[in-house]
Amino acid sequence: MAAIHLERIPTDISRRTFLQAALASGAALAGPRRAWAQETPKRGGTLRVGFYIEAATMDPHLSGSKIDRQVYHNIYEPLVVLDTNLGIKPGLAESWQQPDSRTVIFKLRRGVKFHDGTDFNAEAVKFNFNRMKTEPKSVRKGEVASIDTVDVVDAYTVKLNLKRPDAALLATLTDRAGMMVSPKTAQERGTELERNAKGAGTGPFVFAEWVKDDHLLIRRNDAYWNKQGGPYLDQIRYRPIPDDTVKLQSLQAGEIHVMDYVQPRDVAAVKADRNVVVVDVPSLADFAYQLNHTRPPFDNKALRQAVAYSLDLEQIVKGVWLNVGVPANGPVPPTSWAYDRSIPFIKRDLAKAKAKLAEGGKPGGFTFTVTTNNIPINVQEAEVIQAQLAEAGITMKIKLVDSATLLADGNGRNFDMISYQWSGRPDPDGNTYQFFRTTPGTSLNWSGISNPQIDALLDRSREVGSQVERKKLFSQLTRLLQDELPMVFIIHPIEPKAFSPKVQGYDPIPDGMMRFKDVWLK
Amino acid sequence: MGLLILRRLVATVPVLVLVTAGVFALIHLTPGDPIDAMMAESVDDSVKRQLRSELGLDRPLYLQYATWMGRLLQGDLGRSIRNSEPVIQNVGRRIRPSLQLAGLAMAISLLVATPIGILSAARRNSALDRVGTSFALFGICMPNFLIALLLIFVFGVTLRWLPISGYVDPLEEPWDGLRSLALPAITLGVALAAVITRTLRSSMLEALSEDYIRTARAKGLTDGAVVRRHALRNALIPVVTVLGLQLGTLIGGAVITEYVFALPGVGRLVVDAVFARDYPLVQGVVLLIAVGFIMSNLLVDLLYGWIDPRIRHH
Repeated sequence: MAAIHLERIPTDISRRTFLQAALASGAALAGPRRAWAQETPKRGGTLRVGFYIEAATMDPHLSGSKIDRQVYHNIYEPLVVLDTNLGIKPGLAESWQQPDSRTVIFKLRRGVKFHDGTDFNAEAVKFNFNRMKTEPKSVRKGEVASIDTVDVVDAYTVKLNLKRPDAALLATLTDRAGMMVSPKTAQERGTELERNAKGAGTGPFVFAEWVKDDHLLIRRNDAYWNKQGGPYLDQIRYRPIPDDTVKLQSLQAGEIHVMDYVQPRDVAAVKADRNVVVVDVPSLADFAYQLNHTRPPFDNKALRQAVAYSLDLEQIVKGVWLNVGVPANGPVPPTSWAYDRSIPFIKRDLAKAKAKLAEGGKPGGFTFTVTTNNIPINVQEAEVIQAQLAEAGITMKIKLVDSATLLADGNGRNFDMISYQWSGRPDPDGNTYQFFRTTPGTSLNWSGISNPQIDALLDRSREVGSQVERKKLFSQLTRLLQDELPMVFIIHPIEPKAFSPKVQGYDPIPDGMMRFKDVWLK
Repeated sequence: MGLLILRRLVATVPVLVLVTAGVFALIHLTPGDPIDAMMAESVDDSVKRQLRSELGLDRPLYLQYATWMGRLLQGDLGRSIRNSEPVIQNVGRRIRPSLQLAGLAMAISLLVATPIGILSAARRNSALDRVGTSFALFGICMPNFLIALLLIFVFGVTLRWLPISGYVDPLEEPWDGLRSLALPAITLGVALAAVITRTLRSSMLEALSEDYIRTARAKGLTDGAVVRRHALRNALIPVVTVLGLQLGTLIGGAVITEYVFALPGVGRLVVDAVFARDYPLVQGVVLLIAVGFIMSNLLVDLLYGWIDPRIRHH
């Protein structure tokens, strides 16, 4: 597997290079594959990783936290995995077939054992999907909703019978919904699995201990089935360090080797530091504001458009995000194969904004409230938007809330405009369907948009197997969304990660997850 | 004495009921609920409804409080909604670092503030007094997080003498434990020392102007003996009051300091619990903080009696 060896080459794994490469190839991470020194990996050592919060649970079927996923991708393995270009390749399933649009047959890898010594086989896969669908606290129900039944064909063949075609299913199975937990451990341990994942996975590292609020330790799985490459590290120690400045100082002082995210305000300084290596990982995320279609003022399309034409996205990306990202033309990020670079983002045009105000019956402007998280970068962004809208005669009040209130206001449609920062999914379906489909059975369509044309496009995008055809559908969808504006799209952010120069072999994938199988310490 | 303690403890019961009921009402009336916070990603509404029903969150507020109180009387604080762990375990694990940090910060502040406060008062308007007063002003004016970041930069990043963040239990690994608590304890200790210095200085000045001090001097006692035996003891009452209040605050969690130094204390626990709307955990921590305050006030009252026999006789 090609990997980026992190050395102190102060270079330019710059955002621009990265994104240009990503855009040019339709992929994400062709850029940084440069002449890194090829050295023989060394076994041993403890990798110390700093996260901004602690993991919430060790049970992937119950997890709703991004940080959990960072740990899971080293303990558990999904049926299929992503490559650095967001392509799908074999994981615990060595191959798959789709004889028709409602059937997926997986041939499973032989000789794989869970960390508790039990065999990974078709029965285990069936157990996992049933658990995701029936466990009361399962957060995966929506992701596996298209799976009707699971048949064990033989010990290493499993057939998924779908209720409806689901072109996004394979991509969905590259993450938690595809991760296999040992049936024996899950049954014996019950809810305790949330705190103790010993024996539960098949991955390159085994869960060792979790001292809550202090650290989580995983150790090398010497019996790992894949003998190519790592795991090389003896162990990985994850620590929560909530303050970003302190986390960065911990990296600079050598207390940790890896930090999961560098704040935009710190990126320039960190890149100038010879003791730190920064890797810009273009993400799958889209950060936007949902506009409430179910009540005034944004039940009026012209007023939604007036807001969109008043915003200067380039200025927001430059001034607030310090260019750690690119202006968004829609929900599909530049890292995705479905991204259509021929569609420009909505440019500021005050004349058009004023015309739309007049068309919407508010020639003198109007007043509304934005609800956003009370964190510095969100506040700054809201203030810049407030100033930009004021120039068009639109008055925006800012309501700052914590995350729980934001979710409550969103789910209850108790907002005019509300911030929504979505970490993104490998398939564009994950960034679109649940946000824009009428009655999707989920709760993320906060805007309340209900548009038959959009519904039809979204449904069709799940039925069509061809990626070329799907890309066309998502392009049409992006254009429609720019017109209907259930959301004002702001930025596709980059997720800069920082490493000690000792860390070698890290292979960044645009889902932002840090897989340490082939990582070693110099 | 025993009767006094018993009476004070009985009097705390209504306080605890009022505090927990007030917080229970406030946290439930705040928008957002634990299920939304836990399941931020797309989940069927029916699943959320089912979970709310299982956890009893759809019942009237007074019934939820009564259930919580009923369990409390049986010694059960319930389980965290977020991770199903018993609240008592969660809180028990977090109280130890908070107590150690509070103790160490207190010790540092007393070691610094006692000599500065006494000398500032005894040598009023001297250069020493001006240095002491400036230190107190600096400590009071500087925000905690700024002191913390300065200490981290100097002792963690530049000199690399002390760890920047994290916690090691000093009871298990004394040397590493003390090192891990050093910077946060100094951060809190500096601010606390500043308050104590000012309080001690002004109460010492007042004591030194009393008639009995003049009498002591007239008896031919040395300056040191006058300050130690006569002025200091009388000047201690306001200092003990300040210490008692600060101890309660520290046990309740020095949120910012714990956050900056990634210390797993009560302060961070309560903030995280409020953000997650983890009602049982919030209730558990609030109960603990209230008990902490009550106990530290009781301790202060007992110390009053020890310092000043007149109070004891009353």
